[in-house]
Amino acid sequence: MAKEEKLSQEKATALEAEGEVEGYTFCDGCNEVPFCGIKFFRRGDVITRIEPWPDFPASPICSKSYATLQRLYHPNRLKYPMKRTNPKGSSDPGFVRISWDEAYDMIVGQLNRIKKEHGPHAVFFYVGDPKEPRAAVQRLAATYGSVNYGCESSTACRRAAQLAELLTYGFPTMGDLPTEESKVMLIWGTNPAYSGQPFLCHGQLADAKERGVKFIVVDPRISPTAGTLADIHLRPRPATTAALAAGMMHIIFKEGLEDKAFCDKWIHGIDELRDYVQDFTPEKVEKITWVPAKDLIDAARLYATHRPGAFLTGAQATTHDRNATNNHRAILMIPAICGYIDVPGGIPKPTEPLEGMQGPWADGPPGFCLRDKMMEMKEHRLDLEAFPAWVEKLFEVQTNYLVEWIKEGKVKAFLGWGLNTMIWPQSHAYQQAIESLDFSMSVDYFYRDWTHRYVDIVLPAAMNYERLAPFAYFGRKVFGRTPVKPQGECREDWQIALEIGTRLGYPDVFFNGDVEAACNDILGMWKITYEDLRKNQETGVSIPGKGVEQYKKYETGGIRPDGKPGFMTPSGKIEAVSMVLEKYGIPALPEFKEPMETTSEYPLILVSGSRVPYITHSKWREDSPWLLELQPDPLLTINPKDAEKRGIHRGDDLSLKTAAGEIRVKAKPTIMVPPGVVGVMHGWAKANVNELIPREFDPISGFPPYKEVVCEVVKV
Amino acid sequence: MARYGMVLDLNRCTGCMTCVMACKEENLTRPGVWWNRVLALESESLDRMTYLRYACMHCDDPPCVPVCPEHAIYKSPDGIVLIDQEKCHGHGACMKACPYDVIDRNPDQDYFPEEKLPFEETPDAHRIHPRGKASTCTLCVHRIEQGKEPACVAGCPSRVMVFGDLDDPESPIREKYQRSRPLLSSEGTNPKISYIVPEGMWEPLEQRIKENPRMVR
Repeated sequence: MAKEEKLSQEKATALEAEGEVEGYTFCDGCNEVPFCGIKFFRRGDVITRIEPWPDFPASPICSKSYATLQRLYHPNRLKYPMKRTNPKGSSDPGFVRISWDEAYDMIVGQLNRIKKEHGPHAVFFYVGDPKEPRAAVQRLAATYGSVNYGCESSTACRRAAQLAELLTYGFPTMGDLPTEESKVMLIWGTNPAYSGQPFLCHGQLADAKERGVKFIVVDPRISPTAGTLADIHLRPRPATTAALAAGMMHIIFKEGLEDKAFCDKWIHGIDELRDYVQDFTPEKVEKITWVPAKDLIDAARLYATHRPGAFLTGAQATTHDRNATNNHRAILMIPAICGYIDVPGGIPKPTEPLEGMQGPWADGPPGFCLRDKMMEMKEHRLDLEAFPAWVEKLFEVQTNYLVEWIKEGKVKAFLGWGLNTMIWPQSHAYQQAIESLDFSMSVDYFYRDWTHRYVDIVLPAAMNYERLAPFAYFGRKVFGRTPVKPQGECREDWQIALEIGTRLGYPDVFFNGDVEAACNDILGMWKITYEDLRKNQETGVSIPGKGVEQYKKYETGGIRPDGKPGFMTPSGKIEAVSMVLEKYGIPALPEFKEPMETTSEYPLILVSGSRVPYITHSKWREDSPWLLELQPDPLLTINPKDAEKRGIHRGDDLSLKTAAGEIRVKAKPTIMVPPGVVGVMHGWAKANVNELIPREFDPISGFPPYKEVVCEVVKV
Repeated sequence: MARYGMVLDLNRCTGCMTCVMACKEENLTRPGVWWNRVLALESESLDRMTYLRYACMHCDDPPCVPVCPEHAIYKSPDGIVLIDQEKCHGHGACMKACPYDVIDRNPDQDYFPEEKLPFEETPDAHRIHPRGKASTCTLCVHRIEQGKEPACVAGCPSRVMVFGDLDDPESPIREKYQRSRPLLSSEGTNPKISYIVPEGMWEPLEQRIKENPRMVR
């Protein structure tokens, strides 16, 4: 060891004499994959500084990204595999260092035993944050023989909106940036000033505004996106999305501003939709949503008359309530009735997505993920009965009934990468459930007590500067990275999944644990290798397409795999009335459902997940002191009027209560939130706001009401 | 010689803190020292939130220079106001003299008291911040010397900041510079950092700076 250290020191000194060496990786500071590009400079294996990767498609980088440098060398990082030595339920789990061999022997022993005794589907495979290992973990689950694979997207993030998109349009889309053709932009429930999608694009939106594009921003908060861009800012009461959308469509239909030809030919259920929104007069909508009738009318006119209009929707802000799917479906119908789908400057459907991917990188390439095998095992999915429309459209399991499945003995073991129990409402119920399992494992960067005290084994993950996989792709461009040697005994997520698979007896399927070989298996689809990515490190490798971007492909058969005109829905049209939902006896129009009512006991509405730009989820509270210094305490944003009524001043200690629980937070009065609404960022272990959220789910998507619950705040 | 300065268009600023952290990472300032701050300002009457990236103004007539008993503060030939860390004895006169309150004293604390992180072990000169000495934005003079923009400018996702030679008629800074004004111009220090500000926000911004130019959590 000492000799090795000396040698590496000598090597470092030699390199230093030559100066710095450049390297490249992607950030995992929020939770997208692949996300923004980082160029780093190293001396030996020590990274000394970082900057944005020039001309990378996802660029620039944000505050979190700069802090990944401090996180990389944080003294508290997990550097060795650990196992608990005290029984579950002990105040101290007694984690001790073990070897990778011992860890793998335990995991493989448990997996083999459970398969024999309970069948393979009793093992749940899960990927939380970061998303990067998803493809490798799916391959592992499928090969082991369990269909029960889920992720944070299929718990509380993107999938409810995606389900709405698949039911309505037949293809997933969160919209895109305005192009030169776009005249108006609708940004609904997302704040691209601080985060995706698509990447940190505020600069480009600000450019669009300067060249004359009009902006309508829908957000209860004065988000910086609304503040810097909005010509019209609609601030609806949380969880009333479908009513607001119906109100806009009411005006568009009433004033004959819709694209009649498109509506008649390409929207299934257009008459039912017209009938449904007829009731939603601006006055009625104002009462439901708090949005002034005049603003609603102005927004509807602006969006329908400045043709074409683009939009950007959020991953999850519009689906954190008990009407999640239909709320989001209602938004999607607005550009549809205006005829803005798949037209230049509207809502794009890419003509030639990269062959073999069939969706965003986060899903993983279906071939590599052995998706066909997963589909064959569909009948064993744990979420089959509760969420049939979801199961029909999405391959990942909706995880919110994990508590029940464990109690019923349907899940015996849980293998998690980036697992975080605070993602779930009533987190303690999930902590107890995981604790009661035969076996559980978690891969992470740091020991995180709120999750790891309930598991058997914690494995140390290599960080973004230390990972080769996955590579990145944007459109038809592919990029690799140049990792440094991991700290301690850390291994990258992919390597851990591949090594478990190899030891389960499938060395060929898992490339004997070789991460680059696994990447090459995917890259082979485009006849390139990781070596080609290295040779074109900064610029990436372009995979040639067959032709130019086409539009209105629903007319030419360019959308459906069978080559017939139309959309990928049962009717072949955009579905205002969803035939899939109809089949399962679920309201098939994007209907409004009245959210939880405020009461004298709970007069405020709680928005869980009011983000700040320098924190994501539960990460970063302890991972980087640079960021923690910006906000060391859980803050409650409350309108100054509501604060004044309660005698609350900045920094006061508060008790925040719902019918489901209570937490302690500090006051931050701000006009950012409207009167009647308070917000708390999620993921504070010392004030886990999701403990205040009841386990009541949207019947279509199973999403929890993170942005609907009523509450009260008092000074302590 | 050049006369380097910066124009900030606050119509584009979102308070994302990227400049704050880009500066921290570039310069490795000590805990509590934020050369690059972002102040959030709320106007209830305008129903508007404005964010202000705020740091040393690199004044043409810097009041910090003449008050230093050690003559440690000087203007570089390019107009950048710098503190000579060798000469500075932490007297503190400059901190009082600065109308913008953007000079800090390096505290004793480190982020990790027990150990240095590998990238802190053999730091470049601009990343060394001796305890007790005065500390403020250097406009990333070490980057400018390499032909680069300051780290905050290079990192800004919303391209709020334009950096350049204020005397160069060809510089891209020119167009926005002519539409901009410095904050607290009544102080007469002739800052080389100037601002384009959303309507109705000049007075509240200046008021805020006079009251409390610190990042409030």
